[in-house]
Amino acid sequence: MTDGPDDDLAWVSRAQQGDARAYDVLVTRHRAKIHAMIRNLIHNETDAWDLSQEVFIKAWSALPRFESKARFSTWLYRIAHNTVYDWTRKRRIEAVDELDDGLLDRERIDPASLTTPSGGETPDQQLSNSELRRKISAALAKLSPEHREAVLLKDVQGLAYKEIAEVMSCSIGTVMSRLFYARQKLQTLLKDEYDTR
Amino acid sequence: MNTTPDELTLARWLDDDLDGAELEAMEAWAAKHPEQLAAREESRRWRGWITTAVPAEIEPPYAEFFNHRIARAIRANSTSNATPALATPARTPWRHFFIPLTACAGMVIAFLLGARIQSSHPEIDVAGAPRAIPVDLLPYTPDLDVEAEYFKSPGAAAMVIVLNGVGAIPDSLELIQTASVSQEEDEERPMASAPQNPQSSGS
Repeated sequence: MTDGPDDDLAWVSRAQQGDARAYDVLVTRHRAKIHAMIRNLIHNETDAWDLSQEVFIKAWSALPRFESKARFSTWLYRIAHNTVYDWTRKRRIEAVDELDDGLLDRERIDPASLTTPSGGETPDQQLSNSELRRKISAALAKLSPEHREAVLLKDVQGLAYKEIAEVMSCSIGTVMSRLFYARQKLQTLLKDEYDTR
Repeated sequence: MNTTPDELTLARWLDDDLDGAELEAMEAWAAKHPEQLAAREESRRWRGWITTAVPAEIEPPYAEFFNHRIARAIRANSTSNATPALATPARTPWRHFFIPLTACAGMVIAFLLGARIQSSHPEIDVAGAPRAIPVDLLPYTPDLDVEAEYFKSPGAAAMVIVLNGVGAIPDSLELIQTASVSQEEDEERPMASAPQNPQSSGS
């Protein structure tokens, strides 16, 4: 099997037959995109880590119902969309306090330990001094959840209009409208940064 | 395409969302509308600018542990999902009659099986120790180069974990200082494994 996303279906087929190792390959292949999408939506690393796992656990349960009409990744984005929205609703009702992002702080683990989990550098570390990143995040946070998600799915994740419509359960026309207004607002908020790029 | 495209088609073309015949038709139309070509370039620049600051992929921290937790949750779910199906009884009037009867039959069968096992395998029942509950272990190895397998032998009451890919332990490493303390040393130094108290060691 090749490593490209085009052969997802071969792994999906094996996973649908109960092959947990095949599903693990799919998790490895898609976890970075799903995690990025969720983190960019909710701006909380700890919750994004948990929710991303929830997406893959739910996807496993729903796998028998997956049909190869859509790309596996689009289907995962759809589950991520539902998971984040359920979480947001629940969070609004319960008004839970913010969780401690420090729980995932690598500095709290002995770096000399042989059992230290290895993890790649997070974008926060890579861009910790990036004022631009902070401003774009702040601007994205000012958008409505629907507008933010549309922009992230199109401009960051590169999904097609049709796929975004499937993920967000709306028409292609609505996708177009959300993208238009989201970009308009973002470009207004980030005018100075964008002009001096 | 001679006529002006509809709003949606134009928006999709600006976002590089078209292909095939639709794209060809739009390209032909846009060739006569340089302002639209400029608008598409601007749209591409915007998307490029956003993606430089907002990553499309972020590996979750502790990625292998991330996978491990998913695998564990899936296994737990599949176990718990099987239980309700077995536990859901058929709601019939005969239920009240069958439940006590089944319970009695189960007790008799369990007693007979127990007596048979005790007589045929006395060596397994050591000093009345509880029998091992089979646990399906999923070894987790944080180091991706290390693979773990385990073998369980109920007859020998032993379990062996094999770690493939662990680096050689250097001769300079003194295991006695890290994990192992002999019985004699324990007796000589009762607090050997506890942290040294600077005040008491100085006296």
